[in-house]
Amino acid sequence: MRVPAPEDFTSRLHGPALAARVGPALGVCFAICFLTGLLSHYAQEPSQPIPFPTSPAWGYRLTQGLHVVTGTAAVPLLLVKLWTVYPRLLDRPGRLDVRHLLVTALERLSILVLVASAVFLLATGLANSAQWYPWSFSFRTSHYAVAWVAVGSLVLHVGVKLAVVREELRRPLEREERPSVLSRRGLLRSTWLAAGVAALATAGQSVPWLRDVSVLGVRSGGGPQDLPVNKSAAAARVTPAATAPGWALTVTHGDRSVRLTREELLALEQRTEELPIACVEGWSASGTWTGVRVRDLLDRVGAPRGSDVVVRSLQESGPFRTTVLQGGFADDDRTLVALALGGEPLALDHGYPARLIAPNRPGVLQTKWLDRLEVQA
Amino acid sequence: MTARLGLGALGVAMAAYGVWLLVTRESDLVDVATWLVGGAVLHDGVLVPVVLLLGLVCSRWLPWAARGPAAVGLVVLGSVTLLAVPVLGRFGAREDNPTLLDRDYTSGWLVLAGLVAVGVVAATLVRMRRVGRGSNTRSG
Repeated sequence: MRVPAPEDFTSRLHGPALAARVGPALGVCFAICFLTGLLSHYAQEPSQPIPFPTSPAWGYRLTQGLHVVTGTAAVPLLLVKLWTVYPRLLDRPGRLDVRHLLVTALERLSILVLVASAVFLLATGLANSAQWYPWSFSFRTSHYAVAWVAVGSLVLHVGVKLAVVREELRRPLEREERPSVLSRRGLLRSTWLAAGVAALATAGQSVPWLRDVSVLGVRSGGGPQDLPVNKSAAAARVTPAATAPGWALTVTHGDRSVRLTREELLALEQRTEELPIACVEGWSASGTWTGVRVRDLLDRVGAPRGSDVVVRSLQESGPFRTTVLQGGFADDDRTLVALALGGEPLALDHGYPARLIAPNRPGVLQTKWLDRLEVQA
Repeated sequence: MTARLGLGALGVAMAAYGVWLLVTRESDLVDVATWLVGGAVLHDGVLVPVVLLLGLVCSRWLPWAARGPAAVGLVVLGSVTLLAVPVLGRFGAREDNPTLLDRDYTSGWLVLAGLVAVGVVAATLVRMRRVGRGSNTRSG
């Protein structure tokens, strides 16, 4: 038995004709994932030199839903793309001079980096969206860093292959009368079909009207008060503090501060806003929130417009226990300290006694079980 | 050529920035490396050889009319099954959060697999009839 060589792969389904057609679609998917990912990381930065926009309210929901749907649809595209070029894995260098060997080695190294990082991104992203963490590294840090590696090596790959792609796309795929298994056109259509099925089968977690067909979606969209929960009160270990009778929200600005119990908050002017919760894991759902406008509370302690506000939760630990509500969001009329959802008092898992809800923000920053709002000087 | 060199330089710079991010911010580099190499090795060394073998077996044993539809079925169901591993295994399920992984994924997958199977059989029958008619006209 010997190691197979590229010539042993006689199927017409391998080769540049299909690689040049699946490749660009995969490239577009990776570009969408990269840009929407950068946006999400910027939205989570406490200090933003360019203020993150508060409108449209559904902007974050759209971009992050797109991130996960595109990444999911990229799975069949990547598998077929790698299938079309698989024989090249067994290439042997044509000549044995040093320069040629060096160039070949560098090209193959860049391909290895591209394949390894692309598979890494899709595998870790899919697991993360289902809240499965079978590793010990930080998902957020590694998924972000490897995305730069993947897109960098992809840009390099496009540079190397641009001429081949142009050449191939100039030649239409010929009709094959009786292919032994599948024609090239057949495999191409199967690939688009698989990507479409992958998207439809999972997108229901962010696209409400697809819920019934998304049999593989991580969330059906149901939950207490018709809204899913990312982290429960039990998991955050806040139940005793959140249900304590003496709870009050503290709002501070320098040496001025007010403490408001839930009854006192309910006695203030109540506003109702329809705003989505959009999680970094890709799911999202819309809710009708009622509560006190954050700006009204900030006025009570004389906070000037444009001030950043540190938001503290009753949670004792967790990376998002303390977050920053940037001035633009704090001043937006739709930003609320929500006390009710869908006309009923907020459920404990949704942040009772009070939670923050703002337009166009990552779900992890929509702090639940509020304790303090501290206006920064 | 200039455009290609520019793309190459930009790509190398972006990838280098990613490596720098990883090395300076991630504390568990061994685990990251394991996942990076593991993914590529599993794909190139296990998944593709298995599919190649499957293709070889199917091209020997399946009648011609069924081969194409079966291949389409494999592309669709195989890739969708692979990407659904995290939900099918329900590895991230938590008792305190019933809104997470709250579907019957096995039934959902069976419905999907059933639809694909119906599609493969229907396409095979259509192709068999078409081939049959083709040979009839030729013999007639």
